[in-house]
Parts: sequence; structure tokens; C-alpha cells
Amino acid sequence: MPSQQKDLYLPRPAEIREVIAENSQIKTFVLSFVDRQYHDKFSYAPGQFLMVSIPHCGEAPISVSSTPANGGTIHLSVRRAGKLTEAMHDMKKGDVVGLRGPYGRPFPMTDLAGRDLLFVAGGIGLAPLRSVINTCLAAGHGRRITILYGSRTPSDIAFQADLATWGQTANVSCLLTVDRAEPGWEGDVGLVTALLAQCCLAPRESKALLCGPPMMIRAVLAELAGRGFADEDIITTMERHMKCGVGICRHCHMDDKLVCKDGPVFTLEELKRLNVLELRG
Amino acid sequence: MTDKYILKKDHLLPLLRKLKKTHRLIAPVQNRHGDTLFTVIDNLDEVRIDLENQAQNSLKQFFFPQQETLFSYSNPAGDSYHFEPVAEEIPPTLYFGVRPCDLAAVLYLDVVFLKNAKDPNYLQKRQNSILVGLNCNDPFASCFCNATRNGPFTDCGFDLQLTDLGDRFLVEYDRSRGQEIISQWRQFFAQAGEQDVKAQYQAFLEARGKFKLQVHLDQAVKKLAEDEVPDSVWEELSMRCQDCGGCAYICPTCTCFTISDLQTSDHAGERIRSWDACTFSGFTRMAGGHNPVDRQMRGIEKRFRHKLQFDVKKDNRPSCVGCGRCVNICFGGTDIVRFINMTCCENS
Repeated sequence: MPSQQKDLYLPRPAEIREVIAENSQIKTFVLSFVDRQYHDKFSYAPGQFLMVSIPHCGEAPISVSSTPANGGTIHLSVRRAGKLTEAMHDMKKGDVVGLRGPYGRPFPMTDLAGRDLLFVAGGIGLAPLRSVINTCLAAGHGRRITILYGSRTPSDIAFQADLATWGQTANVSCLLTVDRAEPGWEGDVGLVTALLAQCCLAPRESKALLCGPPMMIRAVLAELAGRGFADEDIITTMERHMKCGVGICRHCHMDDKLVCKDGPVFTLEELKRLNVLELRG
Repeated sequence: MTDKYILKKDHLLPLLRKLKKTHRLIAPVQNRHGDTLFTVIDNLDEVRIDLENQAQNSLKQFFFPQQETLFSYSNPAGDSYHFEPVAEEIPPTLYFGVRPCDLAAVLYLDVVFLKNAKDPNYLQKRQNSILVGLNCNDPFASCFCNATRNGPFTDCGFDLQLTDLGDRFLVEYDRSRGQEIISQWRQFFAQAGEQDVKAQYQAFLEARGKFKLQVHLDQAVKKLAEDEVPDSVWEELSMRCQDCGGCAYICPTCTCFTISDLQTSDHAGERIRSWDACTFSGFTRMAGGHNPVDRQMRGIEKRFRHKLQFDVKKDNRPSCVGCGRCVNICFGGTDIVRFINMTCCENS
């Protein structure tokens, strides 16, 4: 859908319909374009991102956490991390932000059909995977889905409504862990890799989708390799500083690739051909 | 009959006067401080067009200004936020005296700004441009366009191309717009003869032998492709780099930019794009502080890999055009020629 060349950098106003506080650091903003006609034609795929404009704060890339089937609204889950996201966290229902996109290469949804799916996420990393999971469920994914989600503390667990729904869905198992327990927490404590040990997986019939902090990614990759997952069956989405989102400004370079255009979704096979700091540790 | 013409040097100014009536004219002009810069010429009688020295700037700033407004915005209240394109009138512009390195650079900018997505600001300026080149009879001290293979003479990419033959210019065209200028102002142009073409070839042969720098660019390209550049080279150069961004700003093919908001009142502002440099530590730093590039050890790596490895892989030619400007501006000693020489020395 992007872009009439004249509008390449021009955002469109989008109204905040609802703000969901996921935890103290993450809010999900439910948005729709002010221009109804544009909104109705707007579509995206799981794994793609939008450039979000906030007055006087410039723009930042945020991956879409909803699914195109999600009643038409666009969900952006935003962690408080810098000037723009701070300002966004102060916004309320009825306020207007600017959006342009969607950009980037999405998750290979057709490759996921007919496979067992393993999702491993840490913190805000569940946001882009949430879009994939709900899209798969809406499409009636017939194979097993395993979701492993790590948070710092029990009160940091985001997307609780989704986690509850997934936990009650047939063929889906959803396991949570935290780095530090709090009073009342009876679940697992430790790294998501420990949850992996509890899972019965069929690597040759599976695809693994990961998103989270670099340390988590490295630990999970080692574990998956040990379990016999092939590099092309492990998929992740990369985060980089971005300015244009359309493959020109070059801020998001990763060797000869640009994360905004060639990614943000990459298979491990693709990443291993690049010099990626997150994988080196 | 050839497609080549002769323009007597006496006819140059009258021709430019005619062209200036319909075009904004930009040419290398020597200012009163003795510096030669590509400059917008208001009055041809008041400036000295300098075709002897290399212009300190390239054409980059005219197609991709150091700072430009992408659009303006207003947010009179939280529940309203409007974006207005900024209408900028770009007059048809004739660039005169463009050397092969700077011409090659514009052709590279076309790839950057028009291949993936069509950048509207660039496209508008580029569509409105006519490029009149000048082959280099006397390469300058820091030039190495022979190594990057886009000079000292070129035979494509221009609208018109001039070669200095002493009392006259040999004129060639590559684009229809160049041909139109010749037909429209036919009185200034005479058909070139065999002798003129021979003289041009002689000038080319002589120019080719006048390069002072020896730059083993092919060898560096090969080493990068084969991943044979030792970490110590990146480390030494990264530590030496003073992070001034001078090389990127002066470079005719460095195009990295940043985008930010310039607040003009409580409820309005402009979205600005400005030149950036991949050597700056903030270039890759994300919100929250994580930086996926080890700045101290590899801060300068991207700059040379991009020009000499990634672009070669993608477009089959390096995106350094051998103009030598970074050689003259770098006080840290980390310009591209140093990198190439260090890389090639490491082998021996």
C-alpha cells in the first residue's frame, strides 16, 4: 500500500480508540485511521511495522501486534523506551498520532501452515508474535502450537487476556516463566529455555518463531540447535534504529541488508550469513 | 559526420547567457577567498567560472540538501494532528562543469533515491536537471577516478559533455536533452572534424598518465569480498576516527540521513531530513541505549564495506567515485585511500 511517491514520508492521522496498559512499561494502543475510506482499505501482514509519528517527537518503527482480521483496528504495543514512546504513553483515548506503512517483510505465513509452531518470546517480544499467533488461530491452524513467554516478574506479564485465551484453546499450550517471583506466583521461575525442556517437540515438523532480548535469543537458539531444529525453520524479527522505513536512509543496516526492507523478519539461515551482533554475544 | 561538435571558447559565455534565460545555472565559481564551489549563478558577468580547479563541494547538496523540510505538521489539540506537504518550486537547473566523478556520483544517487522507493524530494530536483560535464585533462593531486573506473573521461550519463582542446571544447551528447540544446543553439556549435576527435583521444591518453596517487582499489575490493581484512585494520581506523562526519558530508555518494521534528511553535513544526553519517555513534543506537554496532572497534567499518563491498555485490561497482575530497578533509587519517592502502599492505 505504500506509497504514492508524493506521500512517501507523509503520515496519516490515526485516532487512539483505546489504551490497554499491559504492564508498567508496555501499553497497547488500539488505533484507526481518521480517514475512514483509507482505513477500510488498509491492510498489513504479521511481522510488518508502521512508522509512528508523535507531535514534536519525530517517528519510530513499531511492529503491529494485531491481526488483519482483528475487527479492523490496528494494535501497536509500545514499550516505554525513549522520548517518543514516553510521549506516546502520556496519550489517551481520542488523541491522534500519525502512521505510515506498513513496511517490511512479514512472517512467511504460508510456510507456517501444516507445521507445529513453537513461539518463544520475552517481554515486548510477544507483540509481533501475537499478530502471528492470532492470525494462525483465526485461520484454523490444525497443528500443535506451543507458546513460551518469559517476563521479568509476574506483574510484567503483558498480553494477559491473550495468554488466558490461548491457554484455553485446543491444540495450544502456553507456558509462562518469570525471572523473579513475587508473592502469590506459583508458576515457573527461570529462563524460557527451561520451559523448552518441558516441551515435547518434533523439530522436523515444526517452525520456531522467536522474539525477545538478544540474550534470550542466543540461549534459545543454542537450545533449538541441540534439539535438531534446522536454521531455515527458526525465524526471528530484528530490531534496529530506523528513520525512513523505506530502504533509503540506511540507519538499519545489517551488513548488506536493510532491516526495514529485507527484514525485519529473517530466518536463522539468513542471519548466519550476516555479521549480526545479537548472535555473536 | 560525427555526433560530436565544436564549441569555441569565445562562444561559451554567450551560450551560457542564452541557457540561463530558461534555467537556473549552477557551476564551479571561484569566490573572493579563492575557493571554488559549485554555486548558483545570478549574474554571469559578476562571477568567475573556474574550470581549472576542483570544486570543494559536489552536486550532492543541490539534489539532497544538508537539511530539507519533508512536510509541515500542526497539532492544535491532542485530538488533531495534520500533515501538509511543502510545495517547493524547483526551477529547471543546468549544472555546468561537472567532472566525471561528480557525474558518476549523481548516477549513484539515482540508485539510492529512486530504486527502492521513489524519494519525491530527490525526484523533483533530478527531473528538472540538465548535466553538462567536463572531462578532466589534469587530474588533481588526490584524484583516483582511474581506480574507481569513472574517469578521467566519461562517455555516458551526461546531457552534454565538454572536453577542453585548448582554444575550443569538443562537445558530445548522451541524452536527448543535450541534443536539443545543440539543435536549439546551433549557431554556437560547429561540426567536429576527425582532427578534433583525435585531439580528444590524445587528451584522454595524456590525462590517464597524470594521476599522482596509486590506489589499489581492486585489491581492497577483492580482500573485502573474501573477508580477508584483519580486525586490526577496523580497530585502528575506528579508534583514530575523530567522529567529525566530514568524510560523509563532503562525499558525493554518502547519502545516509536522519529525520527529526523541528518544533516551530507550541502546536506546529516541520519534519526535517538532514545529512547523517554512519560513523557517528548515535547512528545505530536504539531507544533505551542498546547499540548493535561495537562503535569503538568497528565504528568505521560500515562506511568502507558499504562503498567497496556491499555496493559491489549489489550493483557490480563500488560507490566510491575517486574524487579524493575525503583525502583532503580527513584530519584523523581514516580516509578511504588510507583504508585501501592499509588493507593492501596487511597482505605483504
